[in-house]
Formats: sequence, C-alpha cells, structure tokens
Amino acid sequence: MPEQAMLELDGVTKHYRTKRGVVRAVEGVSFAVQPRTTMALVGESGCGKTTIAKMILQLEKPTGGAIRFEGNDTAAMDAAALKSYRRQLMAVFQDPYSSLNPRLRVGTIIAEPILAHENPGRAAVARRVEEVLDVVGMPATAARLYPHEFSGGQRQRIAIARALALQPRMMVLDEPVSALDVSIRAQVLNLLADIQQEFGLTYLIIAHDLALVEHFSTDVAVIYLGRVAESGPTEEVFATPRHPYTQALLAAVPQPDPDHVLSETAAAGEIASALDPPSGCRFHPRCPHVMEVCRSTVPEPLGGAHAASCHLLRA
Amino acid sequence: MLLKVENLQTHLHLKRGVLRAVDGISLEVGEGETLGLVGESGSGKTLTGLSLLRLLPKGSGRIVGGSVALDGQELTTLSESAMAHDIRGKRIAMIMQDPMTSLNPVFSIGDQVGNPLRNHEIARGAALRSAVVDVLSRVRIPSPDKRLGDYPHQFSGGQRQRIVAAMAIGCTPRLLVADEPTTALDVTIQVQIIALLRQIQADTGAGIILITHDLGVAASLCRRIAVMYAGQIVETGPVRQIYRAPAHPYTQALLAAIPRLGQKRTRLAAIPGQPPSLIDPPTGCRFAARCPVRMDKCAEAPPTTVLGDGHSAACWKLA
Repeated sequence: MPEQAMLELDGVTKHYRTKRGVVRAVEGVSFAVQPRTTMALVGESGCGKTTIAKMILQLEKPTGGAIRFEGNDTAAMDAAALKSYRRQLMAVFQDPYSSLNPRLRVGTIIAEPILAHENPGRAAVARRVEEVLDVVGMPATAARLYPHEFSGGQRQRIAIARALALQPRMMVLDEPVSALDVSIRAQVLNLLADIQQEFGLTYLIIAHDLALVEHFSTDVAVIYLGRVAESGPTEEVFATPRHPYTQALLAAVPQPDPDHVLSETAAAGEIASALDPPSGCRFHPRCPHVMEVCRSTVPEPLGGAHAASCHLLRA
Repeated sequence: MLLKVENLQTHLHLKRGVLRAVDGISLEVGEGETLGLVGESGSGKTLTGLSLLRLLPKGSGRIVGGSVALDGQELTTLSESAMAHDIRGKRIAMIMQDPMTSLNPVFSIGDQVGNPLRNHEIARGAALRSAVVDVLSRVRIPSPDKRLGDYPHQFSGGQRQRIVAAMAIGCTPRLLVADEPTTALDVTIQVQIIALLRQIQADTGAGIILITHDLGVAASLCRRIAVMYAGQIVETGPVRQIYRAPAHPYTQALLAAIPRLGQKRTRLAAIPGQPPSLIDPPTGCRFAARCPVRMDKCAEAPPTTVLGDGHSAACWKLA
C-alpha cells in the first residue's frame, strides 16, 4: 500500500472560453506526487504545464476534475482549510527580476507571507527572516537591502527564502533556474536539493530542460498539448522512453558533446493550437509512427507505474 | 581569412562609469567555418557581435581599440555610410535571438524579407518578388508565394525564426552573426533551426559566428569554440579539444556545472561566486576569485599559452 500522496490530480481539465473558441489548455491530467519526492512536469511551451501549476496554486479554477492535497479535495475546502493549504504549498517562479517587489526591502518581502498568516511579533518575524536567509546562504544584512542590489542567482535565493518562511511542506518550482546563468544554476539547484533533504519537502518542478529534469526529479510527467503523454519514475522514463513524443524530445536535446548526433526527424512540424487540437492522439500529426487509429481514438495510458498513452503499446 | 579580429576593445559609457564590455579579444573565422562564441550573460559575447557590425548602443557604446578586418578590409575606421551601404546586411548579417522583436509587426513578411534586397539594390519589381519567394523557400516556409502578404503574428515561433534567417541570408552575406538563434525556441523546433543553419552554410559557404550560452547547441553546430569570460576570451580551440580536454579552469568548471542526459543523480559541481563587475575589473585573471586552482601569480594578467593545433588558453597554470 503506497503512502498517502501529498498531491493528487485526478482528471483535471482547464478550458478557457475565448472569442475565437474554447482553448482546451489542460485535458484530463492525472498524476500523484508522493511525500518527499520531486515530480517534474516537462513539455514545450503552450503544452499546459504552467496552467497545471496555476490550478494547483489556486490561481486558476479547474473546469473539471479534482486536485487533492493529502486526500482532501481543494474544491471542497472551506476558507480556513484553504488558508492552511496555501500555507503548506509555496511557489518559486521563473523570473527573480519580476517575482520580487522592487520597492520593498528583502526583509519585508520575506516577512510578507508570515504576516499574512500569523502575527508572531516583530522580534519573532525578524528572527525567522534571518533564519531563512541563513538557510539559503545569504547574510542577515541582506534583509535591509532592495532586490536590485542583488544578482539573479541571489534574487532566486531570496525568492526561495520567502517560500520557506512559513515552513511549507511542498513547493511548486516553475522553471526555477531557467533565467539564471549556467554557473549560477548549479548553485541554486544544489541549494534546492539541500533544502529538500533538510526539511523533508515535496517538490513539483516545471521545466523544459530535460537534462535538468533527469538530474533533479524522481518522477516525471511528459505533457503534450494539455495531456499526459508519458509518466513514471524519471530513471525509467529517460532510460526507456515509450511515447514517440518523449523519444523525440530526448533525441532533440543538444548535448555538450561534439560527437553527439541530433535527430532532426523525431518530431516534424510544430505543436498544434489548443484552440483546435488534433483528433485522437494529439501528437499524431507530428508522429513518425502514426497509424490510422491514432487519428480517431484518444489513447489510454498503458503500462502501470511507467505509463504511456500511445496506441503503439497496444499493437 | 574571412574575418580577423585583433585586440578588439569596446566600452560602454554608463552613468556608473566605463564598462569594459569587450576587453581585448582576438578571433578568426574562415570561409564556411562556424565559430562558437560561448559565455554567460554579461561576458561580452553579444557586444562582440554588435561591434563587428558597428551596431553599438548609440551614445554609450564605442569601439576604443583594436581591429576588425573582413576579407582584409578594416571595418572599425570605415565611414558610417560605407558601413550601411556595403557591409551591414550585405556582407555581414545578423540573426537575433527573439524573432518576435526582430520582426516588425506592422509590415508584411514579403516587405521585410525584401527590404535588404531593395536597400542593397540587388533586385526590384518582379525580380524582387521572386527573390523573396526563393529565399523563403530556402528557409522552408511552406508555399511562400501565398504568404508574402502575411504578417509576423500569422506565423509560429519556429517559422518566425526562419523568416528572420531569410532576412539575413537574402543578400548572401559572407559572414552571419547568429545571436542565440534558438534560445527562445522549444527543443523540437530548436533542432530544426540548427539543421537550417547547417544547410544555409552548406549552400552559401558563409562563415558563421554563433553566439550562445548553450554548450549543447555550440557543440552541435561549431567547428571551433571561443570561451568568453568577463569581456575576454579565456580559451579557444577546435570543438573536440574544448569539450574533451578543456584547458582553462573556467571552461572545465562550466562543463562540469551542467546536468547531462544519461547522468545519474549526483550533486552538480557549482561554480562559487559570480563574475566580476566590468566597470572596475580585477587587474589579474578575471576568473581568479572563483577559480579552484588559483595561485598568487593570478593577481597578474595571465599570458595566452598555445597548446597546439589552434588551441590556446589564458591561464598561469598553463604558462
């Protein structure tokens, strides 16, 4: 019997009504994140991964399906339960230049979530700010400065400190290092790994860098046009990708190796519009293995823990 | 030699002081060759590219020393009108990072791709139209004759980057400067643009300078690599030497800091600290403060040591 999942998505759907029609951004996405693990959502821009994160963070309301936190449906939570949910689930966003208010001192930025949830008194807040700054490797004096006085990597540390201020149990990391330089990325990734160990945190990371995902996550869900194409333990998915889209993604990643040969044919064309997604398997117009059934029938996930939604697996 | 840059120095005059953005770099690009200019943000790679075209920020940017020679012709002393008339867009063209901002949203694609051909008086009238259709089909825009009147927003991100490439290659330039041409794109589209750049080079024999922070993209496209750090080139060499036997501690650290596919979950080798300010850069080796093997000597500027076969690096360990 597996542990109670920390976070569970069950057939989550998000449709946006626009003038040009209904955008089917997320269509029946299900996955579960176990405590103290790192789940990664990967996929190309427009695949719906950020919309999924927004729904988890209660910034968007799902059109259908359920999001459960430790077994409790977030849609059925009352105000008090929601407040507690928000306190246990924190977020770190991509761009540390826009996610920190430039007019507030770092100390105030980090104290904001604390004051929103409790009022432990000035001295206690200051102590907590100092503690979390220390956790992310910043001096206590940073609290008196403004965001513009720090580099991108340092700002992302400040954003992580703010997320830690209320001792959350889970963090949503939306492209946490993609705005940073290579030499700084490793610092921040190592810091996130250390914090996870130290505080027993559960992570949901959204990333487009597959090498990073392989390195950083324990489980992965590959999203294509709002649907999960493949999911499972990261090691298995990367070693034996089953879905042609996962295979195409992996074949297209340039490697820091001059003898590595890129595959230019693994996925022809470009991602379709969520306004008018292809029938059947949404990847079929780009798939090198497309069959008749792929055009008409939506594939069901097959394969248990390492599942792929592809008709090839039935053949 | 197609392009020979010697001891190029470009300064940015800012309120805070003079930023030595490009501080004495030398490089060469041969015909049909791709040189990767690799480095982090602020290392000076983009300003190096802009210096070649003399497209520096008006007022603040200035080339203060060194030489840029294209086919033996000195460009740093050329008049602005000669630059605009004979060089820019004609013999050296640039592909910018973001196709959304390098295309004008209110002009049709046919207009924009035709512009350099018109300006450099390569074609006009019906010949211009067929030249535009031809160059759009070379970058594989489907049915280009039907799309000349379409606007940038009617194309996808990958197609827009192809159109930007079409604008650059229309006048068959001798040298293409491609600044992060794939960075804004998804991996499955990125691989298509990499293939396109390879094909353009095979067709035209142009030299390419690929400016990128992505060591994977550089490895897949370039024959030689120059690694920039804090306004200087710290190591240059054939792509295999750079990736298999990097000599400079910065190149080594950079290659060790990136996660690779197929690598087990291990701790990444982070580079401590951050690059120095270029307003008042350290007098010695600029990487010294972050270097795991620094010595007392590193307080002085390191000489460039030739390691053989076009491979050289500026580090006291090698001197």
